[in-house]
Amino acid sequence: MKCPRFVPMLAVALLSASGARLAAQQRPLSSVTVLVNHGQLDSAERLARAAGSSGTVQLADILVLRGKLAAADTLYNDAVTRQAPDFRAAQAALAELAARRGDRALADRRAAALIAEYTQSRAWPRTDLAAVGRAYAVLGAVDPQAVHDALGAFDAAVAADSSNIDAQLRGADLLFAKYNAPDAEETYRTVLARVPGEPHALLGLARVEAFRQSDSAVTDLRASLKQDPALVPALVFLAQVDLDREAYDSAGADAARALAVDSSATGAWAVLGLVAWLRDDQAAFGRIKAAAARTTPVLTEFLADVAEATAHVRRYADAVALAGQAVAQDSLSARAFGLLADNELRTGDMVAGREHLQRAFDLDPYNLWYKNTLDLLDQMKSFHTVHTARFEFVAPPADADYIALYLGPLLERAYDEFATRYDFKPPVPIRIELFSRHADFSVRTLGVTGLDAVLGVSFGNLLAFDAPSARDPGEFNYGSTAWHELAHTFTLGSSGHRVPRWFSEGLSVLEERRGETGWGQHVTPEFLAAYKGGKLPRATDLNEGLMRPGYPAEINFSYYEASLVCEMIETEKGIGAIRAMLAAWGQGLDTPAVVERVLGLKADAFNQHFDSWLRTRFATPLASVDSSDGVKPVTGKYEKTMAHALELRDAGANDSARVVLDSAARLFPGYGGDDGAAWYLARLDSTSGDWRAAVAQLAVITSTEETADKPNDLEAAFRLKLGDSTGALAALQRLQWITPYDPALHVRTAELADAMGKWDVALTERRAVLALAPVDRLEARYQVARALQRAGDVAGARREVLAVLEAAPGFEKAQALLLQLQGNH
Amino acid sequence: MKRVVLVLGMLAVLGRAAAAQGATHVLIVTGLSGDPQFATEFGRAARAIYDTARSQWHVADSSLIYLAEDPAADPTRIREKSTKDALTRAFDVLGRRAAPGDLVLVFLLGHGSGEMEDAAVNLPGPDPVARDYAAWLHQLDRATVVFINASSGSGDFLPVLSGPNRVIITATRTSLERNESVFGTYMARGLTDVAADANKDGHISVLEAFLFAQQEVTKVYTSTNRMQTEHGQLDDDGDRKGTPTPGTTGVGDGMLAARIAFGGKSASTDPRVTALVAEQRVLEAQVDSLKRRKATTDSTAYQTELERLLILIAQKTQAINAITGVKQP
Repeated sequence: MKCPRFVPMLAVALLSASGARLAAQQRPLSSVTVLVNHGQLDSAERLARAAGSSGTVQLADILVLRGKLAAADTLYNDAVTRQAPDFRAAQAALAELAARRGDRALADRRAAALIAEYTQSRAWPRTDLAAVGRAYAVLGAVDPQAVHDALGAFDAAVAADSSNIDAQLRGADLLFAKYNAPDAEETYRTVLARVPGEPHALLGLARVEAFRQSDSAVTDLRASLKQDPALVPALVFLAQVDLDREAYDSAGADAARALAVDSSATGAWAVLGLVAWLRDDQAAFGRIKAAAARTTPVLTEFLADVAEATAHVRRYADAVALAGQAVAQDSLSARAFGLLADNELRTGDMVAGREHLQRAFDLDPYNLWYKNTLDLLDQMKSFHTVHTARFEFVAPPADADYIALYLGPLLERAYDEFATRYDFKPPVPIRIELFSRHADFSVRTLGVTGLDAVLGVSFGNLLAFDAPSARDPGEFNYGSTAWHELAHTFTLGSSGHRVPRWFSEGLSVLEERRGETGWGQHVTPEFLAAYKGGKLPRATDLNEGLMRPGYPAEINFSYYEASLVCEMIETEKGIGAIRAMLAAWGQGLDTPAVVERVLGLKADAFNQHFDSWLRTRFATPLASVDSSDGVKPVTGKYEKTMAHALELRDAGANDSARVVLDSAARLFPGYGGDDGAAWYLARLDSTSGDWRAAVAQLAVITSTEETADKPNDLEAAFRLKLGDSTGALAALQRLQWITPYDPALHVRTAELADAMGKWDVALTERRAVLALAPVDRLEARYQVARALQRAGDVAGARREVLAVLEAAPGFEKAQALLLQLQGNH
Repeated sequence: MKRVVLVLGMLAVLGRAAAAQGATHVLIVTGLSGDPQFATEFGRAARAIYDTARSQWHVADSSLIYLAEDPAADPTRIREKSTKDALTRAFDVLGRRAAPGDLVLVFLLGHGSGEMEDAAVNLPGPDPVARDYAAWLHQLDRATVVFINASSGSGDFLPVLSGPNRVIITATRTSLERNESVFGTYMARGLTDVAADANKDGHISVLEAFLFAQQEVTKVYTSTNRMQTEHGQLDDDGDRKGTPTPGTTGVGDGMLAARIAFGGKSASTDPRVTALVAEQRVLEAQVDSLKRRKATTDSTAYQTELERLLILIAQKTQAINAITGVKQP
């Protein structure tokens, strides 16, 4: 089964602090804390007020949670002046508030003063140690060493009092903010073991899981909000999750809920700002920005949030512009520089990206993303670049020449086809980066390793994917991967990067099927059973399946379903409709409006229409599978028939097995999976020497399975037995996208092409052998010279053969060729 | 890419190997396999050398000895079980047969153990150790010896056996590199596969075979993302020190190995051919000289002169083949 690919959308990189929480969360939890942790802020505030002067700091903490920052500031100052019991927590909170307002100088002064007091006396009660950590964390915004000190202080606070949940959570948040997800997770789990359902810990866990692209992130996020419906950072996170699935109305509603609790929540304002930005409503964006500035005059974080979110929805140029504004607001913001660099690197501005990334790393040397990416950029200095008319391939030296030999012509053809189909020509050159280690591809995409299921990404005019050498032979088809990613370049470009993810993916998968015989996803029993079982999203809700799958296979099923939606539209309405839809999204319309304008249907009617179309198109196979939940093995008539056939075959009753396999094939026509009838029939036919029949069955497989290495290999061999050189050559060429780097395959293809007089093909194959750095390099180069001669390039052949003989003057075959080329033989 | 540059650069320095002038004698020894997979690999490598020695190096049956763990596995080739006594007898035979100018190849393949002079290849029964092999080799002092211990942990054999007129090759740097080794497979291929003939002169020199094996071993580890746990060594200057990169500038080892080749075309005695070959050598020397001046020569002039010389060399080959009746490739 094919691994999914996507236009990249970092699930989350929620690095902003998780916001205020009650500082003194210790066991037994106070009544106020319990109320706060359940989102009952009114009651909590009343109770805190009732406590009088002894509850001043706690009351101020609640006011911070409610966005009443000025009032909180007053109370904290009061507590400090009175040297109230929690006055050091109040000092730390005052520093945090100053930082939140963007007054870095004041924040640093306040934090430094607190730390100076601590370092002079050291004899502070254990309850005050967390305040030291908070102060160091404030300084840590621009001082990497302070981050280390902050973690030490939180550790000391916990060591002094293991029930200090607040210190544990703050430490964990800081660890996560510095990309140490494993240690952060461990702490969140420790807290949850002590205080089951602790909402901040659940939120932290959700962030860690989202960072790892785990599907359970949303589950933990919802659990957090169930405990504390007023937890603003969780609401903002939920809004960002909704943004990721391009559900902008839901995101706006989540943000509004957050702002109802805390009108100063920058993250929530940023969500609203983003929604306005994405709708090209600059007036609304300006109003929202102004509203955010009322509580946070320096808008670095607001702009950074919006920049980050625009990148999530693939509007990288916008992200560059917004991150640039963030940098202008605060030239000491590592995050702003990091975002600027990230998106410059995505848009191919490698020089500026490298420079800004270095700046970000200088400001925040603990940041793994910055470090990994800088290391990778250093490594990429040794990469080779190969140019074709409209592409530049950047790859490790051992891969570059070989890959460009095949991908160059393929993508040039793809460019022409897509340009015609979408009536759009992206600017050139288009940069293609390939990585021979999957970890490097992962770093290029995410900044960290672990992006295991993804083969390639498209940033628009920059594509990155695994080189074939990054995976085991046969694991994926690198031709279809490149074709798929390049299709995104056209669909993103022609819609101004506004096409929804599901439609862009659907078109890319559809284009794969057009690229070459066998490429792309095709219908499977598992897909139809899940569809029949209602386990797939409706057509216009396919982002749900892509971004929030309910079970592992749903992502792949959603890719395929999306491609069917696109196929249906194009079949019924023509490519003009597809173009019109892309243009409509480009004008800022949402999906229901696009569907209605272009297809003349409301979303519900469109979804019903697609359902009918799919059920008609796949009526026969649908009838042969039972409904499924997408997880359990498929059952039904097809499965029973196949099982019966295999019993017969295992019993040696091949003739009977063949009859039953034939009937299975009729139940699910055209299915080429390795558990399908075609593969078994092909083997029976080849055993009996019926090459023609075997080829017919193998063709079922090779026309629907893009990684069918063995079937293509056999098909080539059997077609040759039948004298079908053309078919054999096609099978060998399909095989090269599946099991590249195989010199024997290239030699085999070259020899067949030679025999057929296809000199250009033979020349490519001989060049491929040479690009693979064979041990017998001179022989390989000699073969290139011979192929050039046959292709009519006498000058090229002479150049090659002279180079060969320069190294090995006694090489007799090369000598003979030289004489032939001289006409002197 | 670096690898290729290394090979080509070296060939420019070392030039042509010559086919053995005297007789060639071959002793192949495979030890205890311990696993059917190793038995298969050892057998495959030994067979390749045996068959090539017989068919292409024209080694007389009496000078071709193959000792193995299980003679029944390949009774037509294996003379007897590879015990210490059998080795003693084999070296005695070769010692009697080997004359001055002869070439003796000893190829050991198995699992190594022990250290320094007690380093061994595990054989059925008592294991002979490195100093036993040293004593046996003294019986061959009149001949040129190529001793290849392609076993794991074989590195300590090299200082013990190093000596004049000997090429000593081991699969590993020391006896401590005892992980499964693939060197033997590729050394056998290097000696028998024309692909190892890097300068395409029709002879595979021992140096070419060794470098072929080195390159392929590295490729195996690189392509499987494993840390390389074996580092082949070659010594042929008798200084008891091996090198993984013989034949490169500044390295003493490699000169003898470059001159030794098994089999290949034998020289014609026809005086017309002899004269043509001599003329070819002169032209090749001119090519070498031209190449040394490449950096300081105008590129067009260089190419023109290179092409002229290469055409002349090719024409000599054409003339030689016409006389000897060899069909032009």
